[in-house]
Amino acid sequence: MKSTSAPENATLKLIGVNKNFGGVTAADNICLELFPGEVVGLIGPNGAGKTTLLNLITGIYMPDKGTVILNDKNISRYPTYKRARAGIARTFQHPRLLDRCDVRTNVYMGSDLANKCKKTTGNVGEQLDYLMELAGLGQTRLDDTIDKLSYGQQKILEIIRAILCEPCVLLLDEPAAGLNNKEIGYVGALIQYAVEKNIGVLLIEHAMDFVMSICDRITVLNFGHQITTGTPKEVQENDEVIKAYLGGGKHAGR
Amino acid sequence: MNSQLLFSGISMGIIYGLIAMGMVLIFRSVGIMNFAQGEFLMLGGYFCYTFNQLLNLHIIPSLILASLAMGFVGVLFMRTSYWPLRNAQAKAIIVSAMGASIAFKEGARLIWGSIPVNMDRVIEGTVKIGAASIQWQYIAIILASLVIMVLVYVLLEKTFIGNIMQATAQDQYMASLTGIPVVFSIGLTFALSAMITGIGGGLLAPIFFLNNVMGATAGSKAFAAIVIGGFGSVPGAIIGGLIVGLVESFGGAYISSTYQLVLIYVVLIAILMLRPQGIFGDKIQEKA
Amino acid sequence: MLEGIKSIKKSFLLVLLVITIGCAFIPFTTTSYMLRVLNIAMIAYLCVLSVYILLGMCGQNSFAQAGLWGVGAYFTANFTLKLGFGSVTAMLVAIVGTALFAFVLGFAFFRLKQYYFTFASIGLMTILNGLFMNWVPVTGGALGISGIPPFQIGGLVLDSETGKFFLIFVVCILANILIQILFHSPMGRSFMAIRDNELAASCLGINSLLTKSIAFALSGALCGAAGALYAFLSGYLSYQTFTYQQSTMYLIMIMLGGTISPVGAIIGTLVISLLQEWVRPLQNYMQLIYGVGIMILMIVQPEGILGGGKAFYEKYIRSRKRDTEVNRR
Repeated sequence: MKSTSAPENATLKLIGVNKNFGGVTAADNICLELFPGEVVGLIGPNGAGKTTLLNLITGIYMPDKGTVILNDKNISRYPTYKRARAGIARTFQHPRLLDRCDVRTNVYMGSDLANKCKKTTGNVGEQLDYLMELAGLGQTRLDDTIDKLSYGQQKILEIIRAILCEPCVLLLDEPAAGLNNKEIGYVGALIQYAVEKNIGVLLIEHAMDFVMSICDRITVLNFGHQITTGTPKEVQENDEVIKAYLGGGKHAGR
Repeated sequence: MNSQLLFSGISMGIIYGLIAMGMVLIFRSVGIMNFAQGEFLMLGGYFCYTFNQLLNLHIIPSLILASLAMGFVGVLFMRTSYWPLRNAQAKAIIVSAMGASIAFKEGARLIWGSIPVNMDRVIEGTVKIGAASIQWQYIAIILASLVIMVLVYVLLEKTFIGNIMQATAQDQYMASLTGIPVVFSIGLTFALSAMITGIGGGLLAPIFFLNNVMGATAGSKAFAAIVIGGFGSVPGAIIGGLIVGLVESFGGAYISSTYQLVLIYVVLIAILMLRPQGIFGDKIQEKA
Repeated sequence: MLEGIKSIKKSFLLVLLVITIGCAFIPFTTTSYMLRVLNIAMIAYLCVLSVYILLGMCGQNSFAQAGLWGVGAYFTANFTLKLGFGSVTAMLVAIVGTALFAFVLGFAFFRLKQYYFTFASIGLMTILNGLFMNWVPVTGGALGISGIPPFQIGGLVLDSETGKFFLIFVVCILANILIQILFHSPMGRSFMAIRDNELAASCLGINSLLTKSIAFALSGALCGAAGALYAFLSGYLSYQTFTYQQSTMYLIMIMLGGTISPVGAIIGTLVISLLQEWVRPLQNYMQLIYGVGIMILMIVQPEGILGGGKAFYEKYIRSRKRDTEVNRR
């Protein structure tokens, strides 16, 4: 799915990131590279430390050791909001929208950030209309409050908001969980759109078909350890991965 | 001088601790700060006055009867101003408690009048300790409060009813699934909270006289005690109460009596800035 | 800012115009006692608006608003009486000074998470009240400050109740327009993001400490303006006005009105001010009825009168829709 083939510097680089929670290792020496316009999948059984890694990248947790580099800048010690301004956008496992505001306020939050960082007052309207249409939200009125949307629509709206931030890196935490097939298709279309915009996408997901079809590379985590990184095909054939999913006594999701 | 200040500080502090403990019990049970807790102190004092002065009972049965009456008030308060709003936002409950607090204050004024009243002490007279003469009532307050605290501890930690109350405090929904009657359990918590605070009122009244606005001041000091001690912690509430009482008595004597309340809150803000979770509070961890 | 100005709806301006014209006649139709009540209510309204910014938009509950109101009032008194500045300068100083005061304190207090800010604000209120009562050179101590000259601009001295009414009224209208601009601006949106989900807000690049401090500063500016107006209105300041009870009153007002829009502030202020006037003839029972009234209103309308009204309206619309669908079949 890579749209650019020329070798570039990685947008996001994790070098030996470590995090302990009172003796439990949630992230052990994780190394990861994410190139512009690339989709990297992050998979692993429940409790493998996937969301923790996302929290380490966004600065909700500070890493104990290791560096996070974004566009050749060390952002390991940045607080969350500075990282967001530097170009990291994310969604949450359960959508965290402004649930007492209308749809418009929610999506404008994203373009506000873009305007603040790029110092341009770009017209959000066209891109927004296009994205809403793309994600099957064309019928949604911008004045509606969030509780009028279904769970799936809320998750999709959160992705739209993240894309409107015009980030360099988009982190998606289980975007397809709890969605029906049609909505998963919309998520795929939005990821495709982000890739075309040269955004690097890091995707946590349990739906294997979806991950295998959309990712360029996949990183597998288990109990905070990085088992392997490779193309979907390599990962599927890796013994350790199979052991982690089947041998650990946990189901491999769907 | 100093030992006198020490005794009055500790005995006042332990009363603040009792109010604070009542607030913390309610907070742990329903997650709401009760802004009418100070009024329980005032009402307890007036009930005690009614039994002791108007019905001429001895002070100790008066205290016990007053605290039982306060139990009913607690349940009533819970049914009227908390229960109908249990699913609403916390701010709504705070406002309804503020309304209740005004109503309590004014109700007390209409029933008992606004002239400060007095009543019997548990033990009359003073005792000489070193050079200082200390009122027996102070010592009675300290002893009675300690007994109450031990009783509450035993009730909560060692009895079946206490387990029910703690289970409800942890998770109301789970508690109801295991067959605990949640209304009953929460009502009991409010009753217990009102009872211990009410006894405090009965003990305090002989020293400072009773009036219908005493609850507000005492309540705000108890509140400071909770924050200083660590929010949601029962030992924290008691220690916080003692700190407030001592700051009040020594600060009032050595620094400035006009700035007494200010001083308490300066300590509060200083502690919040240095240790945001209070002395005994758990560290605040945001969940991602 | 520009975006905010542009997005003000025409309907809002129309409503504002109608209200302005309607209210312009009030002073000529009521008694001077009622006018006084209205003036005080409008000043309270400004403070309630400040709670709206802080609680309604930013989700932070402060009990220090009456203290900030007092800071504004004492600023004005000192600058007019002791330093001899003009009314306009004094009022500007009060607004800016209170806002800065609130900003600095907000920067310290908002390091505290969750409800701990509320605790600190209660502390601040108590401390400020203690200062008002005891800091004699600045606040006049227990005697207070009297003889503050009325507002004057150019040669015009607003010393009649009607003149004061128009002064306060104009400030209220200005405050409403500013809040409307704020509501539709990126700044207002970042307030609401913090209210609804602080974590998501920081992931959207919002510096929550700074943003909350700005919200506190803005609410401080409104309180400062209200304080200056109060000083001009009454000419006399006493520490007994700026109390914790007054702060809780503002909270009660906004909660009764509803926190979802500034209209709630108007409804709440009117309901409480009028409730106080209505129960006044009952003298002895006044406060009791007032307290029970607050309780009952809150229980009946936990989302405030505005929130309850909105829910009712939506239900009505839905049932209308259902009816028409049934009819069509």
